[in-house]
Amino acid sequence: MASFAGAFAASHGPLLVREWDAVPADQKTRLEKAFRELGKRMKAAKPDVLVVVSPDHWSNFFLDNYPAVCIGVGEANEGPPEPWMKAFPHREFPGHPRFATHLVNEALKGGFEPSVSHRLKLDHGSCIPLWRMELEKMPALVPMLVNSIEPPMPSLARCLEWGKLLRKAIERFPGKLRVGILATGGLSHSIGEKTMGAIHEDFDRKTISLFSGAERSLVRYLDKELPKRGNGSEEVRNWLVAHGAARGKGFELVDYLPVPAVIVGCGFAAWRP
Amino acid sequence: MRDYWLSKLFFDLQQPALAAEFKGNRDAVLARYPLSPEVRKAIADNDAPFLARRTNAYLLRYYFFTIGLKDAEFIRNLRGG
Repeated sequence: MASFAGAFAASHGPLLVREWDAVPADQKTRLEKAFRELGKRMKAAKPDVLVVVSPDHWSNFFLDNYPAVCIGVGEANEGPPEPWMKAFPHREFPGHPRFATHLVNEALKGGFEPSVSHRLKLDHGSCIPLWRMELEKMPALVPMLVNSIEPPMPSLARCLEWGKLLRKAIERFPGKLRVGILATGGLSHSIGEKTMGAIHEDFDRKTISLFSGAERSLVRYLDKELPKRGNGSEEVRNWLVAHGAARGKGFELVDYLPVPAVIVGCGFAAWRP
Repeated sequence: MRDYWLSKLFFDLQQPALAAEFKGNRDAVLARYPLSPEVRKAIADNDAPFLARRTNAYLLRYYFFTIGLKDAEFIRNLRGG
């Protein structure tokens, strides 16, 4: 049986790379520290496999077919296609076909119908946190791309259920593996909308606090508020997957800071085991 | 509403080679996409509010980034100013 090694979450955003020099020094220090702290905890958790729960920013999917959830079952996945991510040191990541296929099969048995891919591109959404966490040795990565970019998106309640399913799949895997989860994205931000640049600190802080309470209140609040808080905030779906996998135990907030220079309310969390 | 071909153009322009070609010869690239005259005009005019109603917001931002508009200018344009 495999074991759950821990769940973590970190924000991402292109400007964390492209406009890094524009970030005020004090915020830069906090961001670096938060990413490093997550990296340290991740290393301590010693995952053999890391399920990276992230959106696809039009790197793999288009309007022809935009899956609600896609799981990467291939031997390997590709590094980020964005030209401005050229300095990222990994061009290819080993996958874990055996665990990924097991996850897909468990999902199908449990009434979930993920899409599968044998080769995905992991864009900045996955790679910026991995980069900034400074992991010397990358575990095998199983991408789980959850649509939070193009409507219709999976419901928030469903994302939470996906997390629970993921945990069940980990515990039913016949083999000794430690499986961790990294959820990326959020918290509030707005991209390509009239409100682009807006960060809703009140929403972010309330969301963070609700992760410590009842799932129903969290989902109800997000269902009501997300449509008003910028399209990037929809990425909190990935945090819900991690939360479900951690059995809703709540997380330790590593840091939260609104960073106008990168137009993201940046959150960093490690779930209680 | 989604204009498929407008969205496809923006999606395809994520490829550096096509983006470079677009910068050098915009008309040649546009000719490969069956865009309506109104959409062609909006592209020519950098009319972000018009385009925003027809494509995904992330794709729209990628497009304006690709053609070299700074975020601040893009946001002003998007807000109709």
